[in-house]
Amino acid sequence: MMNIRCFQNNFSAASFPLVPVQLPSRMETHLWYVLPNEVKSMSLLSQYSELLSPCEKEDINCIRGDDLRKRALLARALVRTTIARYQINNQVNPSSLKFRKNAHGKPEVEWQDDDNLCPVPLHFNLSHTSSMIACGVTMNVAIGIDIEEKQRQLKNNVLAFSRRYFSPYEVKILTAISDPEIQHQEFIKLWTLKEAYVKALGRGFSGLPFKTFTIRSKPATTGSFNLSEDFVSKASEIIVESSDDPENLTNEWQFALLELAGSHYAAICMEKDKTVGGEANTPMKLTVWKTIPFIEDECVSGTDAVVAIGGLIKQ
Amino acid sequence: MAVARGALLKYLRVNVSPLPQNPSASSNGLFQLTFNAIRRRFSEEVRGSFLDKSEVTDRVISVVKNFQKVDPSKVSPNAHFQNDLGLDSLDAVEIVMALEEEFGFEIPDNEADKINSINLAVDFIASHPQAK
Repeated sequence: MMNIRCFQNNFSAASFPLVPVQLPSRMETHLWYVLPNEVKSMSLLSQYSELLSPCEKEDINCIRGDDLRKRALLARALVRTTIARYQINNQVNPSSLKFRKNAHGKPEVEWQDDDNLCPVPLHFNLSHTSSMIACGVTMNVAIGIDIEEKQRQLKNNVLAFSRRYFSPYEVKILTAISDPEIQHQEFIKLWTLKEAYVKALGRGFSGLPFKTFTIRSKPATTGSFNLSEDFVSKASEIIVESSDDPENLTNEWQFALLELAGSHYAAICMEKDKTVGGEANTPMKLTVWKTIPFIEDECVSGTDAVVAIGGLIKQ
Repeated sequence: MAVARGALLKYLRVNVSPLPQNPSASSNGLFQLTFNAIRRRFSEEVRGSFLDKSEVTDRVISVVKNFQKVDPSKVSPNAHFQNDLGLDSLDAVEIVMALEEEFGFEIPDNEADKINSINLAVDFIASHPQAK
C-alpha cells in the first residue's frame, strides 16, 4: 500500500483520486453524506487536514473536544472533495478551492479566474449532526439542506416551542396530533424543512423568522405529468407560504423530505429552475451517495438508506 | 445628553400631581425641588432596570448547564455553543427560549441565532432593560 505521506499536497489527490461525477442536471439534487463513526484512520484524517486552507485549519484548532474537531474537519473535507468531483474538464485539487460567505453567512464557492478551475454554477449546502454530515449540490439554482437525528431530544415542550417559533397554522397541525411520539417526529420533520428553506434562501434563522412562513403538504396535482412507479413518495407536494404574501413563494421552491440511513430526517429545498417550462410540478430528481472521501463512494438512491417521505421525488 | 434626555422625556410618561400649596417656599425653590425629584426618579428607574453582568453570567451558565446534551465541565463564560459545546441550530434556539423564560423577556427572532456563545448571551441580556 502506498505511503501517502511521502507525497506533497498536489500529489495526494492523485494517489487516491476522487471518482469524478457528472454534474447534476436541472431540477436535480445530489446529496453526499459521511458517517463520522466510520472514519477512524488517523492517516485519513490527516489527509483531510491537508486539504484545508490555513484559515480553516485555525478555526478547527480553536474547537475544543476531539469529536467536535473531527466533525468540523470532516465537514470541510466533505465539501471540498464533493465539489472537486464535478470538474469534468480538469482534475481539480480539492485543496485549491476557495470559499466565501454571503451577507448572512452562507458559505459559497469563490471561483477563481484560473486555468485550472472552470467556473461552474455549482451550489452547495452543508448540514451536520453528531453522527452524520451531509452536503447537497445543485446546478444553477439555490439549495438548502438540513438533517436531524430522528431520536433527538427536545428540552422544551414541542407545542410550547412551536407556539413560540412556528406559524399559527403549523401549531394547529402539530396540536392536532395526539400521539406524542408522532407529534415529536412531525415536529422534527417540520424543523428540518423550515431550516432547509431559510438556508436555501441564504438567510438563516435570523434572516427570516420561522413565524413568518408556513410549510405544509398539499396533495399534488397530477397535471400533465404521469405518475409512474418511480414515485416512492406519497405524491404529496410540500409547499411554502408567506404569512405576508401568500401568492409569491409557493411556486419558486421545491422540497423533498427523506429518511436517511434509518437514523436521520433530511430536508432539501431547491429553487425551481425557471427555464424548465410547464405548469406541472416536476418531481425533484435525487441521487444520494454515502461516501468516505478518497476511500469509497456508494450510490444509495433507491435503497433502504434513502426513504422518501414527503415531496415529489424521483430517485 | 440633552438630546437623549429630550427623547426619553418624549416617550416616558410621568405622573404629574398638583403640588401642595406651601406659602413659605418661593415658587422658584419649589420648581427646583420638583424638577430634581423627577430627574432622580428617571435615573433610578433607568439604572435599576439593567441587570448586573456577573449575575447575568451566573444565570446564563446555569441555564446552559441544565441542557441535557451539554457537558457541564465545558461551560465557561467563553464557551461557544457550536465549537465548544457541540450544539446545533435547533439547540441554540432552544437555549434562547430557555433564556427568555429565565429572564422574562422576549428575544427577537432576528437576534436568536446570533446569540451563539455564553458571552454574547450575557452581553445581550445585560444590555436589555426588560430583562428581569
